[in-house]
Amino acid sequence: MAKTAQEKIDAKAEKRYYKTHKSRFKLTVGDKVFNVINYLFFFIFTFSCVFPFYYLFINTISDNSLVSKGAINFIPRGINFDNYISLLNANEVGQAFIVSISRTLLGTALMVAASAFVGYLVTKQQMWKRKFWYRFLVITMYFNAGTIPWYLNMSMLGLTNNFMAYIIPGIVAPYNIILVKTYIESIPGELEESAFMDGAGYWTIFRKIIWPLCKPILATIAIFGAVGHWNSFTDSLILMQGAPELYTLQHRLYLYLTTSSNLGALMNGGVSSATAEAIMQTALNAKVIKYTISMVSIIPILLVYPFMQRYFEKGIMLGAVKG
Amino acid sequence: MNKQIQGKEKTAGYLYYVTRIATLLSVVMIFFPAFNPAKVCDFINKNMSLFTSGISYSGLVEQCVRAFRMEWVQESSFQIIFVSSMITCIGIALQGVMACMSIGNLKMKKRGNIFAIAGGVLQLIGLVGIYVAYTQIAQTTKPEKVIPYFPVRNWIMFFALAMVVLVLTIVIQVLLPKPEKDAKMEMESKFKLFLMFLPFAALTFVFSYLPLYGWRYAFFDYTSGGTLSAENFVGFKWFTLLFQNEATRADIVRVLRNTLAMSGLGIATSWCAMAFAILLNEVKVPWFRRFVQTFTTIPNFISWVLVYAIALAIFASDGFISSIMVNTGAWDAGKNMLMGSDHIWLKMLAWGMWKGIGWSAIIYIAGISGIDQQLYEAATVDGAGRFQKMWHITVPGLLPTYMVMLLMSVAGILSNGMDQYMVFENATNTDVISVLDLYVYKLGIVNGRIPMSTMIGMAKSIISVVLLFMANGISKLTRGESII
Repeated sequence: MAKTAQEKIDAKAEKRYYKTHKSRFKLTVGDKVFNVINYLFFFIFTFSCVFPFYYLFINTISDNSLVSKGAINFIPRGINFDNYISLLNANEVGQAFIVSISRTLLGTALMVAASAFVGYLVTKQQMWKRKFWYRFLVITMYFNAGTIPWYLNMSMLGLTNNFMAYIIPGIVAPYNIILVKTYIESIPGELEESAFMDGAGYWTIFRKIIWPLCKPILATIAIFGAVGHWNSFTDSLILMQGAPELYTLQHRLYLYLTTSSNLGALMNGGVSSATAEAIMQTALNAKVIKYTISMVSIIPILLVYPFMQRYFEKGIMLGAVKG
Repeated sequence: MNKQIQGKEKTAGYLYYVTRIATLLSVVMIFFPAFNPAKVCDFINKNMSLFTSGISYSGLVEQCVRAFRMEWVQESSFQIIFVSSMITCIGIALQGVMACMSIGNLKMKKRGNIFAIAGGVLQLIGLVGIYVAYTQIAQTTKPEKVIPYFPVRNWIMFFALAMVVLVLTIVIQVLLPKPEKDAKMEMESKFKLFLMFLPFAALTFVFSYLPLYGWRYAFFDYTSGGTLSAENFVGFKWFTLLFQNEATRADIVRVLRNTLAMSGLGIATSWCAMAFAILLNEVKVPWFRRFVQTFTTIPNFISWVLVYAIALAIFASDGFISSIMVNTGAWDAGKNMLMGSDHIWLKMLAWGMWKGIGWSAIIYIAGISGIDQQLYEAATVDGAGRFQKMWHITVPGLLPTYMVMLLMSVAGILSNGMDQYMVFENATNTDVISVLDLYVYKLGIVNGRIPMSTMIGMAKSIISVVLLFMANGISKLTRGESII
């Protein structure tokens, strides 16, 4: 399409402007220095975020005797996966892994289903005392009775040393309910109305219309919920004191880490050489074990991370809208 | 004739209110150990409610192993208690079904009443079963060890509630007219929606509101496994002790200092996330930006335990830095840089930043893309340089978001969580790293000083809520928007 006369004049003016003010659009020395420092800063910081994972990984797949000498710092040598195999065969860790996986799957599934359903219910204006019940839910985000009353309450309900303690309290998640509610409110109401006209009940509408339409937001909360379940450690620490078979992977890892750091303190404290050597031996074996369990705990997160990335920006922005 | 039926239905309606309240009471009471009618001897845990006695046999006989072996009591008595408790709970659940169905139409009400009658009968049977078990246990050969004790008050309360529900539903069933033959069970949609919501409301109540009832422990002289009664009510003793006892006071001062210092440092550096976003915006190579953004958010998704694992891998005496130093001959032996208490607040701040800054920056990055591009163009035309644009356009554009974040973090100044400090804590730094949450956990769970730790936790919760409302008030005043 041909340009109009006015556009031609504008383009000409722009060109002229660039010519006369050339210096403004060129990078000055200060700009260049800033750019170099800026890029360098981000490179170093990103490197500091990536390298530790890489370092852990190469140490778990290298020859253990080289690892003990501290020879594996940048490049893996003598690659093998024996550490992973022997670790997952170890009773304690395997069990903790199963506990963590099952609580993540079950807990997330129930939380997502409940959030979707409750989020749908609270958008229904005709619900009896809707406003009150919605506030009843939302207000729980802003107060909390404290660790000890929470613990006493859980033990009163028989939820100590019980796998269900990981699942049931997390089913109702007010924040996620708000996210789903906000999302449903953005869906045009006509869809639902027409289904209602055709005689569909609330449950059918939820299942056939709301659930499929909400999938993006449900994926978002599922991913955040799953990460939360996988990482959670305090509930295992406080509630499972009498049931080591129900410890989560994070809890197990914590125990291993702190035991060997105690060993480290002992070594620096200067004990007799024979004892120190014996301790050194166990500590060095402990090093590989520690790294491998850490990797086992990190790998699932790194595996879902590419999927998460699509959703988390959406999630954090939605969080800004509350109603 | 018609008027008479209406009158009867009205009466039934009033009676329904009474039955619903009675049912609700029973339902709530089965979850409270204080109202457990099945605690008939000293071997039954004081923390058992009727509900837990009815679902967990292992919990019920937890403390009886010795008693069974010595044959002080028969195991069958405990089986009777277990089954009776279960029957009572089922009966109460059936009454609950009636309470829900009673807000439906006539047909539904009639059907619901049948459930309630069955439930009432079951509850009575269960209660009688508990009494039978008690009489068996009372014949023990070792009364001084077993201490048989019949919880008369609780038992009568449950019995009375069952009778009320039973009698009233029978009366209602008689009062209500027969529904038409082809009538269907129906309910108004507002109640239908409410009933669908009810289970979730119950869960919220149980896990978020019920713990508040635990605050009463702060006013009793309670030790784990003990009871709360008028004798060990101590009022505000723990509260005054908090200030009078020198050791405790020193602890609290120390812990508060750590908490406020570390939260304060976090708040004082909270602008860093905004700076991070602004600087990242100056990176004009798309793939490099994407790369930075992707990898700097990863640490946010790993737990503090894993952060500690990474800290060990890098800074421990057999970690990365020590290996390098030893291999190059700079150090004779590896050093554990996580030991010692130097600059621990700054170190904790650094770990917090490493973990969180990439993630916190996302909201600001999104904010920058929301700023009108014409502003930048206009500024360029007016001769503004890069830094001038950042300072006069980007920063003011992000300031509202920053203010919200800042107010939220001020409101949460006392709650910096315990995970981070717990994992990084060791014998050499415990004095400077203990924060309030960690202190409460140790005091209550590890040392078993439940009343004192409840008191501190309670004070913390109240102050936090007050701070939140103050932050909200400030936000309303200055921005005209609420943040909660």
